[in-house]
Amino acid sequence: MSDLIRIFLKSCFVDNVVLIQFLALCPFIGMTGDTGKATGMGIATSFVMVLATAVTYPLYYFVLAPFGLEFLKILIFVLVIASLVQLVEFYLKKAAPALYSSMGVYLALITTNCAILAVTLNTISKQYNFVEAIFYALGAACGFLLAMVLMSGIRQKMKTAEAPDFLKGTPILFIAAGLLSMSFGGFAGLI
Amino acid sequence: MKTILITLIVSFGLAFLLGILLGLFKKIFYIPVDEKIAKVREVLPGANCGACGYPGCDAFAAAVAAGEAPVNGCAAGGPSVAAKVGKVLGVSADSVKNVAVRTCQGGNTIAKDKGSYVGVKSCSAAKTLGINGTKQCSFGCMGFGDCVEACKFDALHMGENGLPIVNYDTCTGCGMCVSACPQGIMVLVPENRKGSIALCSNRNPVKTAVFKQCKSACIKCGKCEKTCRYDAIHVINGIPLVQYDKCTSCKECIEACPTKVLTLVEGLVKVTQ
Repeated sequence: MSDLIRIFLKSCFVDNVVLIQFLALCPFIGMTGDTGKATGMGIATSFVMVLATAVTYPLYYFVLAPFGLEFLKILIFVLVIASLVQLVEFYLKKAAPALYSSMGVYLALITTNCAILAVTLNTISKQYNFVEAIFYALGAACGFLLAMVLMSGIRQKMKTAEAPDFLKGTPILFIAAGLLSMSFGGFAGLI
Repeated sequence: MKTILITLIVSFGLAFLLGILLGLFKKIFYIPVDEKIAKVREVLPGANCGACGYPGCDAFAAAVAAGEAPVNGCAAGGPSVAAKVGKVLGVSADSVKNVAVRTCQGGNTIAKDKGSYVGVKSCSAAKTLGINGTKQCSFGCMGFGDCVEACKFDALHMGENGLPIVNYDTCTGCGMCVSACPQGIMVLVPENRKGSIALCSNRNPVKTAVFKQCKSACIKCGKCEKTCRYDAIHVINGIPLVQYDKCTSCKECIEACPTKVLTLVEGLVKVTQ
């Protein structure tokens, strides 16, 4: 059990997908202008991350590995994740309209999100078992959500702060993201 | 050879399976979409760029159909998409057309210069030099014509008094001059708006300083607020702002204004066509 918690915390803080591995920077910069949107995007991505891991993991070990097709994993994973997101979107629209309206609109934007692909590939390359893989994905999802919410908070503050003209807009955002990333670097080596 | 075959079989098989699943799911979980939304969505560019402020074209289409988003809200599509969206919704795109208004009257003889400026003849350059404009009024028009240059429709010309003049026959309300002006003097106003408008951007709260800087500046005396019988005009952050649902174009505030800052929008925006 403590092993699972370790994996969860490691992927959430020490190996944070956004701030340490620098994946999914587009939603991180693009969608954090508004805390509500950032949270929606974060939750939707988290949901898809866990779901994608749960689907691609058995696919790899029961279909790709027996045929010796390990090299195909990137192609197949992209295909499966993109279709999966679409399927989930159809289902949510019908079965849970409330959930869809809070999360579904972001689903179309994350069909080809690199963080999701990276998490599914990492679980394979780290040779986790299924439960460990799920906990790894959960941790990465929490880390992503955390990074999104933190950044949107910082941006809210930055709106009222005076920045030099040449730094206004994206440059100051990247500086803030860099500082945030450095502070997360403090977790390195803890676990 | 065997590997290639297996690769083909597995990837084709998966793609086939997923394709069938997608088709099935679409059928099973089909819900009738509002026809309006689907039609609006069809004329949008579909790039999901997010420039409208909504997450993707679908969300924007839904918002337009619900009346929450403006018909011309698609920045990527521009006026042509706005016209198409307007057609779908039965709103003529003309009725929402904006025009540019210059909210400054500080021409060469009215507003004093800080000194003689010999730098690059560009408003944004003069602004970023750190001298905050060439006029004593840091909010006023500098008259180098960044807006004239930005206008793609030949609707802006520099007048003799050093202030740009808008030609309302050719102004399309594209807003290029609004983003080109470093002072934020050009504003977009709906073409059919009626009521009074303040043609001044000076937000300096010190009355005596404003007096010295410009003869046609708002001195924050608040006379317009006191004169208005409809509670429609209020000096907010140093500039009189009008609530156009309350203003009746009675011209009382305009007559009361000691520095002649206020004027009627309908008298200003004249389209001859």
